[in-house]
Amino acid sequence: MDVKVKVDKLNLWYGTNQALHDISIDLYDNKITALIGASGCGKSTFLRSLNRMNDLVESAKIQGNVIVDGKNIYDKDIDVVSVRKRIGMVFQQPNPFPKSIYENVAYAPLKHGIVKKGSDCDELVESSLKSAGIWEEVKDKLQAPGTSLSGGQQQRLCIARTIAVKPDVILMDEPTSALDPISTEKIEALMLELKKSYTIVTVTHNMQQAARIADHTAFFHLGELVEYDETEKIFVNPKLKKTEDYITGRFG
Amino acid sequence: MLKVYEEKLKVIKGDILEIGYEVLDALELCLRALQQNHICDLSNIELSEKKILAKSNDIDNNIVTTLALYSPEAKDLRHLVSYLKLTNELVRTGANAKDFAKKFKKSFTDDLNTNMILEYTIPLLRSALLSLKTALSIVDEVDAKHIQEKYRRVVVEESKTDDIFSMIEKNILKLIAQNLDLSKEYFDMLKALRRLEKIADRSVSIANLLQFAQVGGDISQS
Repeated sequence: MDVKVKVDKLNLWYGTNQALHDISIDLYDNKITALIGASGCGKSTFLRSLNRMNDLVESAKIQGNVIVDGKNIYDKDIDVVSVRKRIGMVFQQPNPFPKSIYENVAYAPLKHGIVKKGSDCDELVESSLKSAGIWEEVKDKLQAPGTSLSGGQQQRLCIARTIAVKPDVILMDEPTSALDPISTEKIEALMLELKKSYTIVTVTHNMQQAARIADHTAFFHLGELVEYDETEKIFVNPKLKKTEDYITGRFG
Repeated sequence: MLKVYEEKLKVIKGDILEIGYEVLDALELCLRALQQNHICDLSNIELSEKKILAKSNDIDNNIVTTLALYSPEAKDLRHLVSYLKLTNELVRTGANAKDFAKKFKKSFTDDLNTNMILEYTIPLLRSALLSLKTALSIVDEVDAKHIQEKYRRVVVEESKTDDIFSMIEKNILKLIAQNLDLSKEYFDMLKALRRLEKIADRSVSIANLLQFAQVGGDISQS
């Protein structure tokens, strides 16, 4: 297994409140890593640290390294926009732009100069929508507003939008928590398909979801990484009692 | 359910059938040996209880992992619970088949009434074999009517083995009464034949579990 993202002694503060304590973890290429833990344990903060989304929080202060393909994304010479292009993000609530389905997908690649308007762009939109498993549902209404789609379709549109800029890593912050079981299953199946091409890190409160789809699972508690292992081990034979108690619903 | 779950289930099912077919092969070899009166061929039965047990443990561990990871419900849950119980039945069936071959070969001597023994043992073995084969065929069956039909066939075969065993038991007891010196040999033979009856019993349990998995209801093993 190749390490795609190496996190080394990551500490993060919001003002004086330390939200992450010395997090060190290797995230593997073409694998899904699930981050689990109770609300406020730091998993979303950690996720946002992986593409410098916390830079947008004024009081946030960060220490440590996040090395992606050998390069620390917190180095001074790093362009934050290019980091976020390489490390895309899908949020809890589907958030399509108030534009057409086509424009939702084409916007970022055009902006980044990945393609120019015309057939190249059309091809990229089609392939991204196909990869996100939504092409068949929208191919005849590409000019319809993205917001006209159902919640599950909007989330897949957002995934298409993310992969259109050809990222290396996709971060997902509770991507199915606002969706019904059928849409959830479609997103999960999509994630399993996408991991063949991308490294995926997902935050989830749904323990079964982590168990079903993740190759590795990291359990966070009070800003600390308590246990990190193969999902099978975490869910069948966790090493620590704290992990077992959380997984079995005895605290959290 | 996700494709990964379906794949896991397929592997578990395949592994279960692998054990089942191994036992069936052994029983078919036994049947051929008896039909051709080549009793010494019974020593060719290469059924390894240790291997079957190891394989069954692997399946059980895989089932536990699958239960933990995928939290199956309804039919999916019934399948896994049935398979978990079924591995034990298969281990016992394998042990019975191996025991039959070993004990029958050891006890089958010219001093005994071999014609009578073979006359009853062959249909007894054929019924036990058929009951197991039919029970295992339910694994891939999805139609509820076919499952129930197959289940009934397994029960009929099991009942046949009971009847045949009772007949041979009665005959053997008569022979013992006529010649007490051979009582140990005859009792040993009865013990061997009892294994075949047990195989049919286990087959009913297997069919029962598979019926529960596919159709639902309650688990009711005897």
